[in-house]
Amino acid sequence: MRDEIVYLDNNATTRVAPEVFGAMRPYLAEAYGNPSSAHTFGREMRRSVEHAREQVAEALGASDANEIIFTSCGTESDNWAIRGVLEERPAMRHIVTTRVEHEAVRNLCARLERSGYEVTWLEVDEEGLLDLESLRAALRPDTALVSCMLANNETGVLFPVEEIGRVVRENSDALFHVDGVQAVGKIPIRLREWEVDLFAVSGHKLHAPKGVGALYVREGGRLAPFLVGGGQERGRRAGTEAVPYVVALGRACELAQESDASPLIRSLRDKLEDAILDSIPCVRLNGARDRARRLPNTANISFENLEGENILARLDAARICVSTGSACNAETHEPSAVLAAMNVPYSVARGSIRFSLGRYNTESEVDYTLSVLPEIINTLAGMSPFEAEQKG
Amino acid sequence: MSFYPGPVQQHFDHPRNVGDVEGADALGEAGSLKCGALLRLTLRIDAAGQTITDARFKALGCGYLIACASVLTETIKELPLARSALLNESAITDWFGGVPPERGHCAELCREALRLALADYHNARQEEWTGEEALICTCFGVSEQSIERAIRTHALRTVKEVTKACNAGAGCGSCRPLIEDILDDHWREMS
Repeated sequence: MRDEIVYLDNNATTRVAPEVFGAMRPYLAEAYGNPSSAHTFGREMRRSVEHAREQVAEALGASDANEIIFTSCGTESDNWAIRGVLEERPAMRHIVTTRVEHEAVRNLCARLERSGYEVTWLEVDEEGLLDLESLRAALRPDTALVSCMLANNETGVLFPVEEIGRVVRENSDALFHVDGVQAVGKIPIRLREWEVDLFAVSGHKLHAPKGVGALYVREGGRLAPFLVGGGQERGRRAGTEAVPYVVALGRACELAQESDASPLIRSLRDKLEDAILDSIPCVRLNGARDRARRLPNTANISFENLEGENILARLDAARICVSTGSACNAETHEPSAVLAAMNVPYSVARGSIRFSLGRYNTESEVDYTLSVLPEIINTLAGMSPFEAEQKG
Repeated sequence: MSFYPGPVQQHFDHPRNVGDVEGADALGEAGSLKCGALLRLTLRIDAAGQTITDARFKALGCGYLIACASVLTETIKELPLARSALLNESAITDWFGGVPPERGHCAELCREALRLALADYHNARQEEWTGEEALICTCFGVSEQSIERAIRTHALRTVKEVTKACNAGAGCGSCRPLIEDILDDHWREMS
């Protein structure tokens, strides 16, 4: 039994980096001024907030720091982007999105659909990839917005937002919103070069604390304000800035830039994924087989005819943290909507486990995981009524 | 802190009676459309003693289902058929001090698999039945003669006593009026 946990759930949240904590700490204590105050103490806070804005803009490859607005979380950024665009374009009643979006987009679009908007839900193929022709065909003169993610939280599959942006621009007046929550800090972002109008970021996915996010709004982009009050964030999101958290997000973005951990993360993920797929029977990779089309940190693997929750519980007992798309809870017994959209059969989807690595993982942690996993799978397979068929 | 509550975790970590009874006398398979769980229960039954002598399970479902099935098999081993037929969900869930409502169907699934296994056994017994005597309790394969013998030997007066003595009437209950008649006939003759 290990003392320390092995945290392979970095798509859920990440550890606050010591550098980030160090940067935010003074603002939780002695540096408590209000950035809107006229005195020097307040103006120092303003400078810190604006510095953070530049750090975020730099990480996103934005043209200007003023394109960054701080929010409380990724969900807020996604919700605001979508609602804000629709409010600005009341005559345009059509939205295009995909079946595999995070709930922050998917459930909001479903809600808008119930309230009278028309939503085109783009399908994905068995590897979770999008067909750009279907996107082109879906665009209409009254399409207000196209919303899609850059990286899928469950499978790590990447959507080609650069190409999608071009298709949207060339074929419609729609604005293009990208949920970038899972991508920032993991792959390069070049908003300056992409035809992206809005881009959502969440702090805690990249080693900042929970409680802070950002929304990129392309220069000149019109977006109805989220909170109306004082003039903070240039009148677009009133409310006193959460200075410690804003500073943390800025530093986290800078950290991702100055020390790119993705080569290490990629090599650990590849090792883990290869070993599981090679050595454990009845496994299946969920998502793009071409690793260039996936985040470097994510491996979503199904153990056929096993229950994901059982695997999670056994790994949990071994102090290894992962996720499953099929947790049994009060609200839903349904397996992941993302895997369902990919046409993954139920018997496969129910045994899906998401391993998502991060900058603090080590090779010995991957080796440890690989040392305990086969026995866990073997034991659970021995309990399954399908065991005979699996062997046969 | 464990993933599941202590008693559930204990049975999930070390489930009892996993597997299939070889050459089982009874098989019950129950599935849930709600959560896609599947449970297979196999039993060995001592026909003379009308008792379950071995019970094993295989399950595809959450840790609660595995724990419930583990407790079920422990509970019904060495249990007379009549008593196992009357077993309800709480006999399982009480062992865990209750389960959350959303996991309640795990125990229901166990109860269903047991019911189907017992039905499977009774169906097989009925098919095998070649005796000359009238079969009164088809659930437990008890003949009229056996019931009369039990009444005579133990001076039984009620259907309940008959059920306790020879299992007749413990299953679906459809033969209870017949047992009532046998009791009436017997005591009328005696008087």
